Amino acid sequence: MRKVFLFALFCLAGLLASCGGRNVLYIYNWGDYISPEVVKKFEKEFNCRVALDFFDSNESMYAKLKAGGGGYDLIVPSTYMTDMMHDQKMLRELDKSRLPNLKYIDPDYLAKVRDSEMKYSVPYLVSFTGIGYNKKKVRNFEPSWRMFEREDIRGRCVLLNDPRQAIGAALITLGFDPNTRNPEEISRAADLVIQWRKNIAKFDVDEAKRSLISGEFWLIQTYSGDMLQALDENEDIEFVFPKEGYIFTADTFVIPSDASNVDLAYAFINFMHRPEIAAENMKFVKYRCPNTEALKLLPEDLKNRSSISPSKAQWNAARPTLDLGADTRLYNAAWDRIKSGGN
Amino acid sequence: MKDHYLTKRSFFPKFVTWATIVFFYIPLLVVAVNSFNRSKGGGVWKGFTFQWYRQLFSDSRIWEALRNTLVIASIATVAATVLGTLCAFALHRYRNRLQKTHYMLVYLPLIVPDILRGISMLLLFVLLFAWVNPLLRQTLGIRMNLGITTIIIAHITFCLSYVAMVVLGRLQDFDFSLYEAALDLGANKFQAFLKVVVPAIMPGILAGALLSFTLSLDDYVITFFVAGKGSLTLPIYIYGSMKHGNPAVINALSVILLIVTFLTVYVVQKLLEDKK
Amino acid sequence: MKNSTGKKLNELCLTAPSMIWLILWFVIPTVLVFLMAFKPVDPWGGIGSGWTLQTLRDLSNPNYPEIVVRTLLLGVGSTAISILIALPLGYYLARVSKKLRDLLLLLIIIPFWTNFLIRIFAWKVLLHAEGPLAHFLTFIGLLKPDATLLYNPWAVLAVMVYSYLPFAILPVYASAEKFDFSLIDAAQDLGATRLQAFFRVFLPGISRGIWTAVIVVLIPALGAYLIPDLVGGTASELIGDKIAQRTFIDRNLPHASALSALLMFVVMIPIFFVVFFTGSRKSITGTRHSRGVKQK
Repeated sequence: MRKVFLFALFCLAGLLASCGGRNVLYIYNWGDYISPEVVKKFEKEFNCRVALDFFDSNESMYAKLKAGGGGYDLIVPSTYMTDMMHDQKMLRELDKSRLPNLKYIDPDYLAKVRDSEMKYSVPYLVSFTGIGYNKKKVRNFEPSWRMFEREDIRGRCVLLNDPRQAIGAALITLGFDPNTRNPEEISRAADLVIQWRKNIAKFDVDEAKRSLISGEFWLIQTYSGDMLQALDENEDIEFVFPKEGYIFTADTFVIPSDASNVDLAYAFINFMHRPEIAAENMKFVKYRCPNTEALKLLPEDLKNRSSISPSKAQWNAARPTLDLGADTRLYNAAWDRIKSGGN
Repeated sequence: MKDHYLTKRSFFPKFVTWATIVFFYIPLLVVAVNSFNRSKGGGVWKGFTFQWYRQLFSDSRIWEALRNTLVIASIATVAATVLGTLCAFALHRYRNRLQKTHYMLVYLPLIVPDILRGISMLLLFVLLFAWVNPLLRQTLGIRMNLGITTIIIAHITFCLSYVAMVVLGRLQDFDFSLYEAALDLGANKFQAFLKVVVPAIMPGILAGALLSFTLSLDDYVITFFVAGKGSLTLPIYIYGSMKHGNPAVINALSVILLIVTFLTVYVVQKLLEDKK
Repeated sequence: MKNSTGKKLNELCLTAPSMIWLILWFVIPTVLVFLMAFKPVDPWGGIGSGWTLQTLRDLSNPNYPEIVVRTLLLGVGSTAISILIALPLGYYLARVSKKLRDLLLLLIIIPFWTNFLIRIFAWKVLLHAEGPLAHFLTFIGLLKPDATLLYNPWAVLAVMVYSYLPFAILPVYASAEKFDFSLIDAAQDLGATRLQAFFRVFLPGISRGIWTAVIVVLIPALGAYLIPDLVGGTASELIGDKIAQRTFIDRNLPHASALSALLMFVVMIPIFFVVFFTGSRKSITGTRHSRGVKQK
């Protein structure tokens, strides 16, 4: 027994010795949202280690930071959360002279967001929230959010487990602004989500994609890039822009004010916007990176996908999610009502 | 003892027992079979493969998770074993109001749901950091965050109670006249303790330590509450993979963990057996 | 006895480390849960200064009764099922040969020690809509084509029983092992039927084990949050999930605290009931700890 213990201790000492020493960059990112190969390249080139933690909604990331889970060098929130964090003085002002590759950023993109001068955030990827479905299983498909009311796919569809996205889709369906502050409109949208809720299997983010691939779910509210990824594994899957309208989300690189490895964080942002790196990453995550040079490097079949290169009309129809400040609580309360299972 | 009416005639308990064991193992069996299934989604058998195991071992995050988990579990185990053993001795040796309170404190954590322990720890850290961080920033220019340290503290706290209970059980079987005898034979208290008491209860301490180790390896709920940057542990990795990883790879990981479990249970059983 | 100050010092040296540790990291945090419930919150997730009763008023949220009832139903339901299975099982274990018993015990303990998430994951694989069980059930006509097995309260109940059943088996078995089975023979000799003997003699004889089992299953079941999160559907939210949501999504720690305090009361009720019923604290500290079972 003693020998076993000594052996175990020995192994442990070895393990402990193998870590430490190297420069570490702590990144807080969405799950499945960066190419591991690209990360490896960065680690090699800058002789450091990248430690990735994942979150599955802006809200959960923010809550973790607020609850003492800070200290990251780089975070990837969506624009509305970025703006809110900026207003909360949680972010560093960026020194653009350290980010020469920002010259490749698409001006059309910048025109659509609040931080259009990239004072505190740099775009990472853009996604559209639409519907992903299985062509073989869903009959008489229509590109409409109303699909979530269809009885013939009861228990086989999923809405995003994200208040702004799920309620946002309902708001758009009812013809309201997805950034409304009107309690009456939000309440009616929540009623609609509750109606949909009876038809869906669950609220989920990342797992739903897997389940769509494996045939467990047939129709899900989802992000465009996820569906392009899914297509590689199940060719019956298709992504569509609902006709009522849809939300566009831009995720951004930000450096929190309590970051400790700022140099490496700058290096990482700049690295990710090198056209060839951005293109390689896009080939993996299959979201649009608003980097004009990188988009040119994509293979034709990927480049021609509407969610990578949307038409002018599609791009203009996409609506961003905005920071609502204290009024976010309206959405939280509505979400509560939806999630509790009551009416 | 040949004449038990109940066992003889009753088929029902036997049936329930074996049915339960089947119930316990069918899900695990499905996972094990699927870990060799070429089909990613499971369900239909599409041929035998080892590719999920290869994929598992080539994922650098799992090694990071494994390293963090082992570091946390080892530190938590050593600390909890020391604290828990001392605690068990105190509880065993002395019977007074202090020890009654002590006993309450040790066993209450065992009956509080994990989620409550998680959130209460998180609250403490939030307040502690809010209070200490401004001071630290002014004096040393650093700040404290959730992370491996907070996880270790949480793990020590719940492991302590388990160790104390296991060691206490062992102490109750120990004949303290042996200790008195050693004292009579001229040993001093420390020698008698080290040479007589400790070897006798060693299996209990080891079982407690091993238990702490596995509990620490296994914990998700409490860990998740107090985790911060760079504190990826194996259960957090598993949860993450269930959400957005490849399910086939988790099948493979499950099989490996099952094998480790079998071995651990075997060792623990051996340790508890030589008690008799 | 010779030296009472020395003895006192010895005791203090043995007691202080664990006692201080537990006060620091268990008692204070627990008290904080109750205090935090009276703090105001700002919309950005910070904790305000001063005190408020607002959070308590928020507990009258019209959605909560349903969640509390669901938590109680699933908790009590999974406990009842676990006990019903554990009784014949514990009985059987106590009666078979030592060799078979050791084997069976080992088989029962192993799933305990298996990672909790892996066990839930295994159920997700088993109950997958395109998985083996669904195909089989559809094939024999028990399941309508295209119906799903996961994401409903029944899946939550099944996985809860699966996860907590071993907690129930061990204390029941431990009591049954100490039970004097000649009493049953005696009862039957005196004319009792098998069932009568079982209910009138065996059950009262192992009541302590049963109460321990009730406690060790009920508590984690009431505090469950991962199981409904992973295998439950849209209407499977329990108190635990709500606490997690308040903490990790709504960034409202005071509200999470108030809910936690509520859950703590819900959990304490059965414990006091059992302590009162059995007149002993012993049943609570039963087998679970010595066997090394951990709740989830």
